[in-house]
Amino acid sequence: MNMSRVVCAAAALCAVAVSAADAQRRGGRGGGGGFNQFFGGPDETYRPPAFHGNPVYDGRFTFARIKYRGFLHWAGAEGPGWSHDYPDAEENFTKILRDISAVRPFVEAGPILGSALVALDDPLLFKYPVSYMSEPGGWMPNDKEIAGFRAYMLKGGFMIFDDFREGWRGNYDFTNLRQQMARAMPAAKWVQLTGKEPIFDSFFKIDLKAAVSPTSAYGNNLPTYWGIYQDNDPKKRLMLIANVDNDIGESWQWSGAGFVPIAAANETYKLGVNYIIYALTH
Amino acid sequence: MANWLEGIFQFLFKYRPTEFAKGSLAFGAPFSVVILLLAAAAIGVPAVLSYAGVRGKSTRRDRWVLGGLRVAALVVLLVCLFRPMLLLSAAVPQRNYVGVLIDDSRSMQVADENGKARSDWVEHAFGGPDSTILKALRQKFIVRLFRFSSGAQRVDSTAQLTFAANQTHLGAAVEQARQELDAVPLSGLVVLSDGADNSRVPIGDELLSLRAKSVPIFAVGLGADRFDKDIEIRRVDASHSVLRGGSLVADLLIRQRGYAGARVPLVVEDGGRIVSRDTITLPADGAISPVRVTVVANDAGPRALTFRIPVQPGEQVQQNNAQQALVDVRDGREKILYVEGEPRYEMRFIRAAVEADSNIQLVALQRTAENKFLRLNVDTADELLGGFPKSRAELFRYRALILGNIEASFFTHDQLAMLADFVNVRGGGLLMLGGRRAFAEGGYAGTPLAEVMPVVVSGDAVADSMTFFADLKASLTPPGTSHAVSQIGATPAASAARWNTLPAITTVNRIREVKPGAVTLIKGTMAVGGRAGDPGAPLKSYEQPVLVYQRYGRGLAIAFPVQDSWNWQMDPSSPAEDETFERFWRQMLRWMTSDVPSRVVVSLPTDQSNPKNPIAIRAAVSDSIFIPRNDAKVVAHLTSDSGFTRDLSLDWAIDRDGEYRGTFTPDQPGVYTVRVSAELPGGTTVGDTSYVRVADLNTEYFDAEMRAPLLKRMATETGGKFYTPATAGSLAEDVALSKHGVTVVNQMDLWDMPAVLLLLVALVTAEWSYRKMRGLA
Repeated sequence: MNMSRVVCAAAALCAVAVSAADAQRRGGRGGGGGFNQFFGGPDETYRPPAFHGNPVYDGRFTFARIKYRGFLHWAGAEGPGWSHDYPDAEENFTKILRDISAVRPFVEAGPILGSALVALDDPLLFKYPVSYMSEPGGWMPNDKEIAGFRAYMLKGGFMIFDDFREGWRGNYDFTNLRQQMARAMPAAKWVQLTGKEPIFDSFFKIDLKAAVSPTSAYGNNLPTYWGIYQDNDPKKRLMLIANVDNDIGESWQWSGAGFVPIAAANETYKLGVNYIIYALTH
Repeated sequence: MANWLEGIFQFLFKYRPTEFAKGSLAFGAPFSVVILLLAAAAIGVPAVLSYAGVRGKSTRRDRWVLGGLRVAALVVLLVCLFRPMLLLSAAVPQRNYVGVLIDDSRSMQVADENGKARSDWVEHAFGGPDSTILKALRQKFIVRLFRFSSGAQRVDSTAQLTFAANQTHLGAAVEQARQELDAVPLSGLVVLSDGADNSRVPIGDELLSLRAKSVPIFAVGLGADRFDKDIEIRRVDASHSVLRGGSLVADLLIRQRGYAGARVPLVVEDGGRIVSRDTITLPADGAISPVRVTVVANDAGPRALTFRIPVQPGEQVQQNNAQQALVDVRDGREKILYVEGEPRYEMRFIRAAVEADSNIQLVALQRTAENKFLRLNVDTADELLGGFPKSRAELFRYRALILGNIEASFFTHDQLAMLADFVNVRGGGLLMLGGRRAFAEGGYAGTPLAEVMPVVVSGDAVADSMTFFADLKASLTPPGTSHAVSQIGATPAASAARWNTLPAITTVNRIREVKPGAVTLIKGTMAVGGRAGDPGAPLKSYEQPVLVYQRYGRGLAIAFPVQDSWNWQMDPSSPAEDETFERFWRQMLRWMTSDVPSRVVVSLPTDQSNPKNPIAIRAAVSDSIFIPRNDAKVVAHLTSDSGFTRDLSLDWAIDRDGEYRGTFTPDQPGVYTVRVSAELPGGTTVGDTSYVRVADLNTEYFDAEMRAPLLKRMATETGGKFYTPATAGSLAEDVALSKHGVTVVNQMDLWDMPAVLLLLVALVTAEWSYRKMRGLA
């Protein structure tokens, strides 16, 4: 067993342990309890220690990470689900995006690294038409957030959902995402993507089978990719994409630490780059 | 001169002022002038001396006054002895001809003379043998009657007049009548008209001809030179062609009398269906007010749009409340190339804005990495396969071009020159968007494109981190208020209001100067609480153009130095269903392609014509790189909705490269389609289509007030005279004194004028009265 496999196995074990403990605390699928009781009420939003403010808007592409209320899917120092991998994931990803593509993203400004953190009911959200949500299994939006999310999507926003699973060890995150989506856009229909869609060919030609985060530790579930088309018309743009049973953010996070094999990390970077290029062109 | 004044003059001086003006003074005394002078001296000197010698109680002053009066009386008598007379040439009765031209157009039916039609006076004065003026003329002349509209035609009597012609061309009519009477002694032409010439042809040449031939015009102006109550849409200027779904902007000129300040509806109809309705405020009496109307052209094909103000109570002319314009609503797909150097939101939102527009094909060449491109919306697998076009033929296939955030060094020098030629030679529309690699910041200063841009592009390229930045609030300039591209509301006022509520946008391109001749439609002012300035050098206030354009060569160059107009779409202040952003960009792309020429451009002199008027067709033909070609086989295929078909060969006009001409004369009303196809050597066939509406147009009722200045000019420049019906009583006598034709010189004594007798009596009475007053009698 080589070193990288050891690291991967260790990371997987850690992830499993954290996830299992989290699930146990929450009493299984979704719901209240857990760290939201420990840290504050369900209407409070976690503030990551690495957060030093949002970059000032200057028109550049800026990676926007969605923050939501509550403390579900807690993972120790990484906080609740939405802040997992922050800020390393976006810092690494925006550097890669800057280096290999013509996009000139915000990367860092002093202590501010990689991204802007925005809530769905924050007007600032609309300055970032492409955004990323980690762990939507813990997303329990109120009506105001749902309204903001709906407006965001209808106006032309594009959202990437990452780092969540379905049906593994009592996690039904995708089910939660579908339920919340049904509140925001009742008529929207989820479509499983095949890999032939333009989003998988907008910059790299993606092989979906290879684009599996080696750190996701989601058991034997192979990732699937789901999306919702504008007006439910496959000829129109994808409004969002969901990496079910995949965690490309974590792969980005650890790619610079030798924790993830370069080849494997590259595949997840490819997915991210394609998502961004697609969102900026479609 | 007023009639009563002229009567007094004639009483005092025996003859009319005209006779004095036409005649010359002479003396007919039978004695020699010397004898008469000696006699005067023999009488006058003793008289003066006798006064001078008298002393008594008279003063020196008395003697001078009395002497002066006596001498004056003697001088008057002496002048009478000289037998002054007026020598006047007059036409020999029944030896000369007079042409009477009667306006037979519809405007003569206008009832603006105390409720009577203008034609009524014609009937009264020229209607029969006993009619006053005709009778007077016939006593002195052989009279030839003509009716005229676009030309003159002989008639025997006014019974043949219809007052139904739809055109008035005074110059052509008088010239035609003069030519017809060229072989006979002609004393003059009498023109009975309202002067409402609508030929749009200057009359100068015809007047020169009449002067050269010594034919005076005696013009009688019929009708009121000012209506009491009338509203008139004088003119409609609209684009001849618009892309389906686009906004058609029409400029109207409206004039009114008697309704100043009234608010009236302005309706636009397309085939009887109301497509726009607005309320306008009428201008001051006599003032011409411009009004701009925007209509969305949803139905393809030639559309005859009617612009109408409903008839208001008391209007004297009702037919001039509506005007028509023929607009070709194209249903084609305009191909626009958008080259974007950086994947960014602006491109994604602009693409989305026009995605559903079936008339716009926005082909995107997106640089995603160094030498790596994403091609979107291309027609074929090999389109733009090699990146940005490298030949003019490849580039000129597009009708408009958008340059996104892409630096000048991306292009070769040849490609930059091609881009300039795209506007200048091909006539395409070019839009440069803002961005850190656009304008001067992108290194365009000194390139051929800097010349094309409507703003001054100067200075070195700037590093990404050092670019200027400003938050701008956009607002319309006065020209922008009514421009098609800025119409984001139902009316210009609603559009202006909407612009004021749009969220702020940002720029990274500092525009310091707009070129002379360029037009700024939208300006940006530093938003409240916003930022502006170079890094580390904030400004307290800032303003710069947001949308500027200029015509460059055959094409259109637009600068939009904004990097994130997508904020107008995404900002939470507007509802998700708001279509402001989409509308703006659809209109922008339509504007860019609106006047872009094809390889064949058909032009007709007018979009509306009366039947039987010849229509000249011009077709400009060029090759794939828009160089005019003189070796094409060009045919105009003419069809109309009334079943007319004809193929007309167009010939190359030697005086102009690439231009082919021909003429056809439509007989029947209808919308005529003129489809021109040009076959170039090698077999390539290209074409273009234009339309003309042939109908009985109501042109006679526009600008229909009696045009006295034109008639006066015709009279004075030819040596004739201008009359109104009230002063036309002396017309026959004036024509008789015109000195033209066969004339005889009349000697008319002046010594027996009542004025002379009155003068003598006055002088003698004055002398007597003075004596009486001074006690010298």
